Amino acid sequence: MKRSVLLLIAQQFWKNAFKTKSIFVMMLVVAVILSYAAYSGWKSYTVQNSIRQHYQEEVRKSWENNPDKHPHRMAHFGSLAFRLKHPLAMFDFGMESFTGNVVFLEAHKQNTVNFSEASFSTGLLRFGEISMAMLLQLILPLIIFFLGFASVATERENGTLKVMLTQGASWKEILLGKSLGLMGLAMLFFIPVVVVLLVLLTINESPDKADTLLRYTGTVFAYALFFQVLCFIAVIVSAVSKSSKDALMKLLALWLVFFILLPKTTQALGSYFYPSPSKIEFETAIEKELVTVGDSHNPNDPHYKTLRDSVLTVHKVDSVEQLPFNYSGFVMREGEKISAQIYNRHLNELLKTYQKQNSLTRITAFINPYSAIRHLSMSLSGTDFESYISFQNQAEGYRYTLAQEMNELQMKFISNAKPAPGDKPITISNEHWKEFPDFKHQFVDTGTSLQNESLSIAALICWSIVSLTLILYLSKKAKAV
Amino acid sequence: MYRLILKQFLRSRTAQVSLVLLLAIGIVSIFIGKQFLDKQERIIANVTQHQQDHIERNVALHDEMGLLLYYLHFSLIDQPDKLTALSIGQRDINPSIQSITIRTLEAQKYDTDLNNPSALQSGNLDLGFVIIYLFPLVIIALTFNLVSEEQEGGTWRMVVIQSKSVVKILARKLFVRAGLIYSVLLVLFVIAIGVLGLPLNEALTGFIVLTVLYLAFWFSFCFWIVSFQRSSSFNALTLLSVWIMLSILLPASVNNYVANRYPVPEALGAMVEQRDGYHEKWDIDKKVTMDKFYEHYPEFKKYGVPDAEFSWLWYYAMQQMGDDESAQQSKAMQEKIMQREQVSRSVAVIIPTMYTQLLLNDLARTSLSDHLALLNKTNEFHEQLRLHFYPKIFENASVKSEDWKTFRPEYLTKENNLNWTMIVFPLLLLIAIISILTFINVRKLGAI
Repeated sequence: MKRSVLLLIAQQFWKNAFKTKSIFVMMLVVAVILSYAAYSGWKSYTVQNSIRQHYQEEVRKSWENNPDKHPHRMAHFGSLAFRLKHPLAMFDFGMESFTGNVVFLEAHKQNTVNFSEASFSTGLLRFGEISMAMLLQLILPLIIFFLGFASVATERENGTLKVMLTQGASWKEILLGKSLGLMGLAMLFFIPVVVVLLVLLTINESPDKADTLLRYTGTVFAYALFFQVLCFIAVIVSAVSKSSKDALMKLLALWLVFFILLPKTTQALGSYFYPSPSKIEFETAIEKELVTVGDSHNPNDPHYKTLRDSVLTVHKVDSVEQLPFNYSGFVMREGEKISAQIYNRHLNELLKTYQKQNSLTRITAFINPYSAIRHLSMSLSGTDFESYISFQNQAEGYRYTLAQEMNELQMKFISNAKPAPGDKPITISNEHWKEFPDFKHQFVDTGTSLQNESLSIAALICWSIVSLTLILYLSKKAKAV
Repeated sequence: MYRLILKQFLRSRTAQVSLVLLLAIGIVSIFIGKQFLDKQERIIANVTQHQQDHIERNVALHDEMGLLLYYLHFSLIDQPDKLTALSIGQRDINPSIQSITIRTLEAQKYDTDLNNPSALQSGNLDLGFVIIYLFPLVIIALTFNLVSEEQEGGTWRMVVIQSKSVVKILARKLFVRAGLIYSVLLVLFVIAIGVLGLPLNEALTGFIVLTVLYLAFWFSFCFWIVSFQRSSSFNALTLLSVWIMLSILLPASVNNYVANRYPVPEALGAMVEQRDGYHEKWDIDKKVTMDKFYEHYPEFKKYGVPDAEFSWLWYYAMQQMGDDESAQQSKAMQEKIMQREQVSRSVAVIIPTMYTQLLLNDLARTSLSDHLALLNKTNEFHEQLRLHFYPKIFENASVKSEDWKTFRPEYLTKENNLNWTMIVFPLLLLIAIISILTFINVRKLGAI
């Protein structure tokens, strides 16, 4: 294989592309979509985050400004956790629009994460959203197919393929040269996105810039690999088709099946085969189990009676009033522990069901490169399923700590003696409120994100190798007529 | 003649594959819709029993009216129509059941269902999706080479020479394709009616008429492009680009625009305000709270300001403040959402895909407006419960004095007033315009 011939073919392919008007139309279309996607990604990121940060601060202020009071009142006053968007969310919206944004955190109760963008949305969200990732995942592949379908097939139709071969070019040089040329064209569309995103990420004031840039680099590499696969596929299909029309039809059919039909169908089938419980069913199951382990509010409950007796024995006293700590705080601590454990177990089961529902789509990464890049891109942008679950877990963790911290304060500072009627209610100093740390939403760290997506990464690398192997195989088998 | 065209058409592999695939996905989509509807119906069927058990259990446990009402949940149900299975719309995102206590409503009414965000993101594969998304693709696949296949296959000259009217031949070819695709649609509707037990009512008629018109739009549009007599590749590219424009880019752009133009910070604001509005009252003079409460409900003024450290009268007055103090934000939020709905709808009139989607959701009562109606009804429902129980709590009426059996879940009464002009007119107008444009092209064709 001669490098100069390969480059010559690539150059020729590149030049030919500019002889038609259509490439300029495509460039214009991509430029328009890119500008709009960048604008709305930036806007949604900055506006939403500033709204959420504003309210997170408000909530903190109002927490700290609470006067002296009984710690259990503070446990019910609770807090709110707002989900922040990762800077890369302006690139790939992922599931952001379908996940809730705020959750009320209080003692004894796990509330739902509410107010997703989808809950304010008319039916239009179903058609998708315009984002830079969507441009790269859906539109650019189609453009690659448009630009690549004729690559070999036309040469065959015109008889120029024979000429090239007789003049000494090998099949390998032709196929790789065409692929290289096509990749060059794809870069023409890809690089502006890469640049725009870098600019946006640079001007954005985010605390962890190094990590964001690391994720950005990963994203760029992943997409580059994805486009390499698509360019190879386009050239392969073009080479094995009888005519350029035939090649175009095949590529369009591939696009429709792999980019539109398959992802939707597999997700629907996943949900069909692994039905998940409704909220009422989920809550009823938890309630039933809670009843069996005892009701901390019922003084005659056997579980809590045993607990009381053992506590009294250990401390060698005969009534709870004589204990060195507040007994009802102790009981609530116990109750919170048990109910949180039960809730978390049920929640984990639910999440496992969801993961099963999603597994079908995820595994298709090996037959569908689109599925691989979609998941990897979402994960690197912090907008995937795992990122959402991570937020939910952090919020629940904070809720639990808050409730238990208030129980501890109650045990430590509240007397066991009941206040006489007319007495001032028992309170503790509001200094304690300030001591309790604020909620801070942490993004999933990059290593974990990559680990979660090892399947997608493996699939993408597989695709890259397989497509290259196919080209090399084809260059031995292909026929000129 | 028709038989020949039909035979010739059915011999092509594209036709066979795409029609069978369309039918298969259509049937799958009906069963996916059925699964969704079954689940909803099962939950709703259980709610009545659930509420009865729940009330019984709590009535046995608590002998104080105020404490009992702290726990009691009452359900309001927006029973989905059978048509929901064909166009799930926003029903998977927004809950169809509101289960509320008489405490602060703002803290309860936006609670979401449990959902897999991946599934929500991918969206439902319901019949509405198949009709709006996939049928046009098949129409494109089967019509884009109506003329060009003959031209490129070298048979066009023969067709022109042998037949009296080229236009007639083309029209017949188009009718054969349309006939087959409409047959698939018909079969799917028959299956849907059988499988789901759809009542044969006006809404279903509207649903069918709308989809028939929507497909007619795509046929007329494809025929118009074909009438330019360009190459197969050109037609395929053009039609697919238009499909992407109408089914992905335009609706998605409108969605982005609406979401960015009308962010809803009021939702978060209301959430914070209702919490603070209630909780702050624990730390301030009872009289302040009670005065505000009596300003809202002068009829309860006679209960005065309680002296005791704790009383249910004061407690529910505090809870009421959660709603009262967040009312403005809550209203602003509702208005924002209405604005979003209005903007989306007005833009949709000129974009057939969006238009059809929104109307199908309306017909199936699965749109955002239907959910807003449920939220509004929830306000009323909650207020009725409050007004019923407030005096009983304040007077500490005996729990046994209430006939608890009468508290069954309530249903949202639905008014489905079909607007036939809106169903028929915009699409018909569009089809008429395209047909005229096609006619102009075809006249030139006849002159060859």
